Amino acid sequence: MFIRAPKDFWSGVMFLCFAAVTLVTASGYSMGRGGRMGPGYFPTLLGAVLGLLGLILVLRSFAIRGEAVEKIQWRPLAALVGCVLLFAAMIQPLGLVIALSATTFLASFAGPDWRLREAALLSAGLTIAAVLIFVLGLRLPLPLWPSL
Amino acid sequence: MADVFSNIGLGLSVAASLQNLVYCMLGVVLGTLVGVLPGVGPVTTVAMLLPISFTLEPTSALILMAGIYYGAQYGGSTTAILINIPGEASSVITSLDGHQMARQGRAGPALGIAALGSFFAGCVATFIIAFGAPPLAKLALQFGPAEYFSLMLCGLVAAVVLARGSIIKAIAMVVLGLLFGLAGSDVNSGIRRFTFDMQGLADGIEFVALSMAIYGIAEVAINLERRQEEAKKVSAVGKLMPSGAELRACTPSILRGTFLGSILGVLPGGGALLAAFAAYTLEKKVAKPPRKFGEGDIRGVAAPESANNAGAQTSFIPMLTLGIPSNPTMALMIGALMVHGITPGPRVMTDRPELFWGVVASMWIGNLMLVILNLPMVGIWVKLLRMPYRLMFPMIVGFCCIGAYTINANVADIAVLAFFTCFGYLCLKLDCEPAPLILGFVLGPMMEENLRRALLISRGDPMVFVETPISIGFLLAAAGLLLVVAAPAIRRKREEAMAE
Repeated sequence: MFIRAPKDFWSGVMFLCFAAVTLVTASGYSMGRGGRMGPGYFPTLLGAVLGLLGLILVLRSFAIRGEAVEKIQWRPLAALVGCVLLFAAMIQPLGLVIALSATTFLASFAGPDWRLREAALLSAGLTIAAVLIFVLGLRLPLPLWPSL
Repeated sequence: MADVFSNIGLGLSVAASLQNLVYCMLGVVLGTLVGVLPGVGPVTTVAMLLPISFTLEPTSALILMAGIYYGAQYGGSTTAILINIPGEASSVITSLDGHQMARQGRAGPALGIAALGSFFAGCVATFIIAFGAPPLAKLALQFGPAEYFSLMLCGLVAAVVLARGSIIKAIAMVVLGLLFGLAGSDVNSGIRRFTFDMQGLADGIEFVALSMAIYGIAEVAINLERRQEEAKKVSAVGKLMPSGAELRACTPSILRGTFLGSILGVLPGGGALLAAFAAYTLEKKVAKPPRKFGEGDIRGVAAPESANNAGAQTSFIPMLTLGIPSNPTMALMIGALMVHGITPGPRVMTDRPELFWGVVASMWIGNLMLVILNLPMVGIWVKLLRMPYRLMFPMIVGFCCIGAYTINANVADIAVLAFFTCFGYLCLKLDCEPAPLILGFVLGPMMEENLRRALLISRGDPMVFVETPISIGFLLAAAGLLLVVAAPAIRRKREEAMAE
């Protein structure tokens, strides 16, 4: 491949993607004139700068040698994002106790050495602590149990 | 002069109220705790506590968060000295000589001098804030939109210069942060921008969710990949008080470190980390005799420890007087104040004197608490070092989820959390530092507003930015910083310094 600096290349691609989305979306907003900046003015300016920087990174990555991207380890990432989404799905219908114990239990899968007993105890302990601190202590309006 | 003392008096009366003493105590205990625990930093902790802080009085909230920030500088040095693992980035330097001292059986004096130096620096920095902030705020009150825009530009450039790794990436992260900050309803036209027809984004990207995603969960993912659990050998502590000779040797180092740290903390983009590095470098050059730095010289602990604490505290000056964050923790505090309806800036000092002076006074009280916490109780903190990371990260994740949800009782914010976790993970994998992004995010709407106003006043003439000396000054400073970093020789030096 011609890509000599994969980290720079992929960063550049990421910035280019964001720039493209920005420019396309901002083209729907009025630009206004210099004295009266419209809602599209600043975003378009930023989007253009971002695109330019992304382009520089991509082009430079063909010329200058740089670091390779470390391999992505899917297990921690998937477990962590998964448990966040799980919490999002469970908190309103099922309440804090069930949602949080499920979330922390699943989160512990992200670690390298998973132990059932430890994970169960930990999630139980954290849930009790969270109920004490957030609901009883700070009186945050969190539903505790499923609303029937 | 008399003003300053009556102000400090007001501050002390606020900070010494029972409620604020409790929050100050809580802050420094938590700060020491996260400073000691590897893998959890002050940014993560402040981010996790943001939702809680919304239920507090703004003054108490700021006292709590400030305590965490400077408390972490103390805690970080404990791990740096005892097990050669700096709990905080700003303690990396301390471990060079501090851990060598510990291996020679002098861990106690190293810890002692770190705490005493930090305490001295903290006291001095408190007074620097008390004397330095009011004139700066007075000056800033005269700033028009053009000056503000240039100031923010300068602050963001400074943040870029201090980010690790590629400058281009750091600038791109700033720009991206500014863009993220613009999402949501536009104040002027009422148009919803970058919401992609999602109801959850109508009020913009939730700042708390964004920062918890990047500094909380994404960092956990990276830590889990890189961390190997290993048995850590903890050095014995022994007696804490440094000998008279050691104290005498350290006094000039502490003074130099405090001085340098106080100055560097004020600069945008500065703060504890830069201060510690610079102080150690200076110490190696000027200390006589230039004995054995790196082999357990107590001055190599005293100088950076004083400097990082001084820098941590004076970095509150730009935040409280100009509304410009010098690092991500400050950005989080600005976010917290805004939720309370307070826009950080020169007006805070006149409109809410109890907030400003209360926080300043609490820092001095907090430093006193930290000496008491750290010296006699160091044994307890050492025990916490053995806490394995696998017990800690589910807690971080759980707290982030609860935090993201409780801000608005909105499930959409948890979805934002999930999305930006992936984004933050990607950034960390690609060596794109998130700190500039966070600063850009906080400043985005303010920058647009000031740009708009400046151009409105000048009827679209961009020359408005080079018409006043202050504005030109900021722009030149920004350009100068960029040029300096782009120059090859300095670039190499900077890379060496970052790699150390």
